[in-house]
Amino acid sequence: MKIHMPVVLPALLMAVSFVAQPARAEVDLSGSWASTAMGDDILLLTDFTGIPYNEAGRERGLSYSQSQISIPERVCSFYTQTQLFGGPFGLKILKQAGKDGKTTAWVLAGWEDRSPMTIWLDGRPQASASAPHDKTGFTTGQWEGDTLVSYTTHMKSGFIRRNGAPHSDQATMTIHYILHDDLLTLAAMLEDSVYLSEPLYWSRTFRRSRNNVELLDGPCVQGYEGVEEGVVPHYLPGKNPFTDEMAKGYHIPVYASLGGAETMYPEFRKKMKADFIIIDKCTRNCGSRGGPPPGAGGPGGGPGGGPPGGGAGGRGGPPGDRPPGAGPGAGPGRGGPPQ
Amino acid sequence: MKFLLDSIQFRSMTRRKVRTKWGAVMFAACACSVMTMAQSGGTALETVQLRPNFYMIGGAGGNIGVQVGSDGVVLVDAGRADRADQVIAAVKKITDKPIRYIINTNADADHVGGNAKVAKAGKTFFDVSGPRSEMAKSMTNGGAAAILAPDQVLSRMSEAVGSAPAFPSEGWPTEAFFQDRKAIYLNHEGIEILRQPDAHSDADSFVFFRGSDVVMAGDVLDTTQFPRIDLAHGGTVQGEIAALNRLMQIAITSIPLVNQEGGTYVISGHGRICDQIDVVDYRDMVVIVRDNVQDLIKQGKTLDQIKAARPAKAYETQYGTVPGSTNAFIEALYKNLTAK
Repeated sequence: MKIHMPVVLPALLMAVSFVAQPARAEVDLSGSWASTAMGDDILLLTDFTGIPYNEAGRERGLSYSQSQISIPERVCSFYTQTQLFGGPFGLKILKQAGKDGKTTAWVLAGWEDRSPMTIWLDGRPQASASAPHDKTGFTTGQWEGDTLVSYTTHMKSGFIRRNGAPHSDQATMTIHYILHDDLLTLAAMLEDSVYLSEPLYWSRTFRRSRNNVELLDGPCVQGYEGVEEGVVPHYLPGKNPFTDEMAKGYHIPVYASLGGAETMYPEFRKKMKADFIIIDKCTRNCGSRGGPPPGAGGPGGGPGGGPPGGGAGGRGGPPGDRPPGAGPGAGPGRGGPPQ
Repeated sequence: MKFLLDSIQFRSMTRRKVRTKWGAVMFAACACSVMTMAQSGGTALETVQLRPNFYMIGGAGGNIGVQVGSDGVVLVDAGRADRADQVIAAVKKITDKPIRYIINTNADADHVGGNAKVAKAGKTFFDVSGPRSEMAKSMTNGGAAAILAPDQVLSRMSEAVGSAPAFPSEGWPTEAFFQDRKAIYLNHEGIEILRQPDAHSDADSFVFFRGSDVVMAGDVLDTTQFPRIDLAHGGTVQGEIAALNRLMQIAITSIPLVNQEGGTYVISGHGRICDQIDVVDYRDMVVIVRDNVQDLIKQGKTLDQIKAARPAKAYETQYGTVPGSTNAFIEALYKNLTAK
C-alpha cells in the first residue's frame, strides 16, 4: 500500500500532540497552607553557598551593606516574589473564577513583606519589555496535568537570600505547584542572565492548615533608620569585612561560601574536602556526627548544619546577634558623604 | 485595554471576597496594558498606555511621552529625525487631537531630531490665518506646534557644525527659557520643566506631569546602559547624581499601602518604564561605581590601571552591554574626579 506522506505526517503529528499533552486536571489549591520549614532567617552576610553566581553577581553581593535597606526610600520597599522561598510565613491561596465558573487566576496572598502574586490563567500575553517592573512581577500560569506551573517576569531587583544575595530585575521565576495529599510543594527555577550563570533551583513545602492563615497586608511607615538621604552604604571591592564570616563559622574555605555554579553540585564536596578544617572539639551547633561538613550544601541548599556557632575558630552568632556591622557610620569602606 | 478592564473586574471581585487591597493586580495589569504598533518602514514603534491620558512611545530614539486631552497633545521629545513619520502615525493612532507642544529633555539627536517634522504635523495655539498673523507665523514656524526647552537646548541645536547649524532651524525651540523651572498648564494639569544642570549634559530637564503623576527623566536615567556623561557638553558625574537624587524626591512610591505597588511613573530616556525604587537602584549603582573609582584614584592608580581593575564589575552584565559604555563611564568618572 502506498502511503501518502503529506497527508499522513500532519495526522501523525496531531495524534502525537494529543498523546504528548497530559490531560488537564486542575486541582484545588485554595485555602491556608502552613509553612513546614522556617525561611532563611539564620544567615551569614556572605553565605552565597549553592547560588550559581557569575562574577558580577558575587561582586554585587560582596559590595552589599545591610544598611542599604535603611536608605529612606528602601525602608518600605520589601521583597520580590523570591521571598516565597526565604520568608517565614504560611500561604493563603485564593481562586479567582469568571462568570462562567472557569478559573481565571490563582492568587498567592501577600505577606507583610511580599506583595500578592496573581497567576493569570486567562491566556493573556506576556508583558512588554518596556512595561514597568514591580515587586509583584507579572505572572501567567497553566496546568500541566495536575501541576500548576507559573512563570513570573517583570520583578524588580531584589534578593535571593535576605543577606543581600542579589537578583536583578531581569530575573524570571518558574514555579511548579505540586500537591500530594495535604502537602503542597513549590518547586522553583530562578533564571537571571545578569547575575546567574545557571538557573537556581528551590523547593519549599507547605502543609494544608485548618487554621486560617491571616492575610498580612498592613501599612508601612517610613522611619528614620540612621542612613541620611543621599548616602549609599556599601563595601569597596575586596574590603567587605564579612567575606570570611561563613568560612570561619563553618570551617570551610572562603571560595566555598561565595557561590558559583559548581557549589550547587555534590562533586563540589570533593573539591573543598582538602580545605575543610576538622576542628578538635565542637561545642555548639555541630550537626550530626560523621555527617557531611556543614555548609557543603546540596543543590540550592543553604548551610547544611545548624546556625553558625561559637565552636573553635567560630565567630559570632547569626547576624541578628551582633550590632549591624554595616550600621550607620560603622565599618570600613562604607558609603561616602551625602551626595 | 482589555486587560485593564479585566483587572478592574478582578479587583472589585476580590475586594468583595477577601476585603483586602489588590492594587498590585492593577499595577501588574497596567504593565501589559494597551500596546499598539505603528510601522511605516524600519522597526515598529511601541505605544504603552500608562494613565488614561498618558502614553509612552518607544523605539523612535529616546522614549517619547504623550499627554492627551481637550487642549490637544503635549509630546515630550520627538525621537530621531528618520522616525518622525512613524511618531506622527503613532500619535494619530492615540488621538486625532493636534500636537500643541513638544518639550525637549535634552539636545541629543535621538530626542530632538524629529522636532521639525513632528512640530510641523501639529498646530500652534496662535491664530496664524488672520491678516495680522505674520508675527505669529514667524514665531511658530508657520503655525507648527510650539517647541519648549531650556536655552541650552537652543544653543546646542543652533551651534555651527562646519558651515551649517547642528539641526535645521525648524526644529529649534520656539519657546526657549532661562529659568531653572518653567511651568505650563494644559489638559487640566500642571506641567513643570525642571532643569538639571550639568548631569548627562548641560541641557537636561525633567518634565513632570503633576496630574498624571508621570516624570519624563530624559537621559539622566537610562536603564539600558551606564550613564552617558557628555563631558564635551558640560555633563558631570556629580550633576548626574544630584539629578538622580532630585528625581527620587519628585517620584513618590506606595506608602503606607506598599502592596498597592502604585506611585509615580518615571520614564527613562531609554529602556523600560520605571518608578522611584528603580531610580534608587540606578543612583546607588552610579554612587557605588564612583566610590570605587575614587578609591582607586586615592591609591594613585592611572586611568588604564583603573579600567583594568574593573570598578564597575558588579554592574557590567546589566549596564555594560552596549559596546564602549563601561569604559566611557569610567573615563568620565576619572576625568571628573581628577579635575582640578
